[in-house]
Amino acid sequence: MINFIFLFFFLLIAISAIVVLWSRNVLYSAFSLLVTFLGISALYVMAGADFVAVTQILIYVGGILVLLIFGVMLTNKGDRKTDDKNDILTESRNRFWGILVAMGLFTLLFYTFSGADFAGIHRQNFGDNEQSLSSVKGVGVQLMTEFVLPFEITGILLMVALIGSAYLASSRKSDD
Amino acid sequence: MNSIIALSLFGIANLFLGFLNNRKILLPATLAFVLVALGLNLADWNQEYLWFNNMLRTNNLSVNFASVILVATFLVVAVSRGFGDDEEHTHPAEYYAIMLFSVVGAIMMVTFENLIMLFVGLEILSVSMYILTGTDKRNLRSNEAALKYFLMGAFATGILLFGIALIYGATGSFNIHGIEALVLTAAGGSAPALLYIGIVMVIIGLLFKVSAAPFHFWTPDVYEGAPAIFTAFMSTVVKTAGFAALFRLLGGAFTGVYGTWIYILYFLTMLTLIIGNITAVYQQSFKRMLAYSSISHAGYLMLTATAKVAHTQSSILFYSLAYSVATISAFAVLMVVAETKESNAEKTNENFDIFNGLAKNNPLLAFVLTVSMLSLAGIPLTAGFWGKFFIFSDAFQRGIVVPLVVAVLMSAVGIYYYFKAIISAYFKEGDVPAIELKPIYKITLIVTTLLTIVLGIAPDLVKSIF
Repeated sequence: MINFIFLFFFLLIAISAIVVLWSRNVLYSAFSLLVTFLGISALYVMAGADFVAVTQILIYVGGILVLLIFGVMLTNKGDRKTDDKNDILTESRNRFWGILVAMGLFTLLFYTFSGADFAGIHRQNFGDNEQSLSSVKGVGVQLMTEFVLPFEITGILLMVALIGSAYLASSRKSDD
Repeated sequence: MNSIIALSLFGIANLFLGFLNNRKILLPATLAFVLVALGLNLADWNQEYLWFNNMLRTNNLSVNFASVILVATFLVVAVSRGFGDDEEHTHPAEYYAIMLFSVVGAIMMVTFENLIMLFVGLEILSVSMYILTGTDKRNLRSNEAALKYFLMGAFATGILLFGIALIYGATGSFNIHGIEALVLTAAGGSAPALLYIGIVMVIIGLLFKVSAAPFHFWTPDVYEGAPAIFTAFMSTVVKTAGFAALFRLLGGAFTGVYGTWIYILYFLTMLTLIIGNITAVYQQSFKRMLAYSSISHAGYLMLTATAKVAHTQSSILFYSLAYSVATISAFAVLMVVAETKESNAEKTNENFDIFNGLAKNNPLLAFVLTVSMLSLAGIPLTAGFWGKFFIFSDAFQRGIVVPLVVAVLMSAVGIYYYFKAIISAYFKEGDVPAIELKPIYKITLIVTTLLTIVLGIAPDLVKSIF
C-alpha cells in the first residue's frame, strides 16, 4: 500500500516537473510547479518529516509561488510574446547545454544518493529507538536549546534584509 | 563572541542615530563602535572559549582574523566621509548599520565551530553586500550589479547549503571537529560518495564568495557597478572572512580526505592566478583592474590556504592585512580623484587616465597611490612584498613546484598593470586640480601608507603576533 502511494506521488512530481520544463506558457508552468511542490511535501510526510512538509507548503506554495504569479502579473506588459489567446509565452535558449548540465547533475546526484546508507546514518545518530510520530516537538526543543544561537542570530539576517528592502524600495522625494 | 553581540547592538543604535537630524554624528559614532568591538575582540586574546553548545570558538586564530576584519572596516568607515552632504540620495545611518551587521556575519565566519553558524554568517555577510552594491539607486550599473550579485550569490549559497546537507548526511554531524574525526575514520575505510560530493560543494560555495576562478565571473561587473567605497569594503572584508572560513575547513575538518580535493584546488589556484592577472592587463578602467587584481590575490591566498599545516595561518593573516590596507588606500585615492572629475563630466570616469598628471598638484595622493600599487604588485620595502614572500616560501617548503612557478610568473605580470596607474600619475600630461582633503581622510591615507611601509620594513612586528 505504502509503495503504491509513494509511486503515485513520485509520478505526480516527475510529470509536473516535466510540464514545468516543456510548457511554453508561463502560467501553466507556474501552476504545474504548485503540483510539484505539493507532491514533494507529501513525500516529506511519508519520510516522517512532517515539520519540513508544512514548511514546504508554507514557504514554497504559500510564499514563493504566489510571488511568482504576482511577478508574472505585474511585469506582463509591452513587447511580450503572445499568441492569439493572449497567453504569455517563453522561449527556451541554450537547450543543448541546459540538457547536458542537467543530465550531468542528475547522474552525479543519482550516483551519490544510490550509494548512501541512510538507514545506517539514522541508526548512528538516533540509535534503534523508534521516532515519535511528530517531529515538530523535537525541532522546537532543539531550536530553543542546542541551536538557540543560530536561531537568534537569524534575527540579524532578517533585520539586514528588512533594512535593505525598505531602503531599496523607498521612493525618492525629488526625482519623481 | 562579545564583539558579535556588541556589533549587533551598535548596528541598531546606528539606525536610531539616523533619526537625529545631524549627519555629522554618524561617522565618529560608527568609528567608536568599531573601535569598541575591536577592543572586545582583543580581550579574548590567549583564551580558548566555546560558546552556546559548541556553536562558536574563540581562540587566538579567530581573534587575529577578526582583528584584521575590524581594522579594515575601521579604515573603510574612516574614508567614507559620512557619505557626503547629499541628504536626499544617501542614507548614512542605514549604510553604517548594514556595514556593522555585515561585520557580525564576517566574524561569525571566522569563529564558527558549527557549519550552521558558517551558513548563517555567510548569509548575513552576503545579503548585506547585495544591498550595499545596489545603494546607488540612480545609477543603472549599480542596480544591475546588485541584481547580478544577488542571483549568482543566491545560487552559490544554495550549492554551499546542499554541500553542508550532504556532509551531514555522510557524517551525522554539523560540528567541524566532529566532522574532522568522522572524516578521518571514513577516509580509512570506504567513505560514502555523499561525503566527497558534499565537501566539493562546500568548497565551491566558498570559492565563489572569495571570487576564485572559474567562479569569478560576477566580480568585475559587481566591483565596477558598486559605489567605490563599498567595493573597497567588499574586496577586503569579504575576502578575509571567506579565506578564514576556507582555511578552517580545509586545514581542519576536511584534512582526512586531503588527497581528493588538493589537486582540484591546485588546478583552480593556477586558473585563478592566470585568469586574474592576464585579464587585468587589458583593462581600461582602474576599478575593473582592481577587480581582476582581487581575483589574482585570491589565487595567491588559495596557494597557502590549501596547506594542511597550521603555520600557514600567519601567512594568510599577513597577506590579508597587507592586501586590505593597500586596496583601501587605492580605492580612497580613486574616490576623491573621480569625484573631482565628476563635476565636469556626465558619467563617473574611473579609467586609468583620470590619474594623468596627478602628481603635479596632489603629491600626497600620488604618493599614496604609488605605495599602494607597489604593495599590491609585491615590490620590496612594502607589506605586499613580504605577504608574497611568506606565501611563496610556504609553498616552496611544501614542495608544490608547478603552482608556485605559475604564481611567481603571474606576480611578474601583475607589475605591468599596477605600474600603469603610477605611470599615469607621474609621467602623463593631465590636469587634476589640487584636491582639498578633509583631515580624517588625510590622516587615514597617511596611516594606511605608513602601515604599508612599516610592515614592509619590519614584517615581524605583526607576523610574530599572528
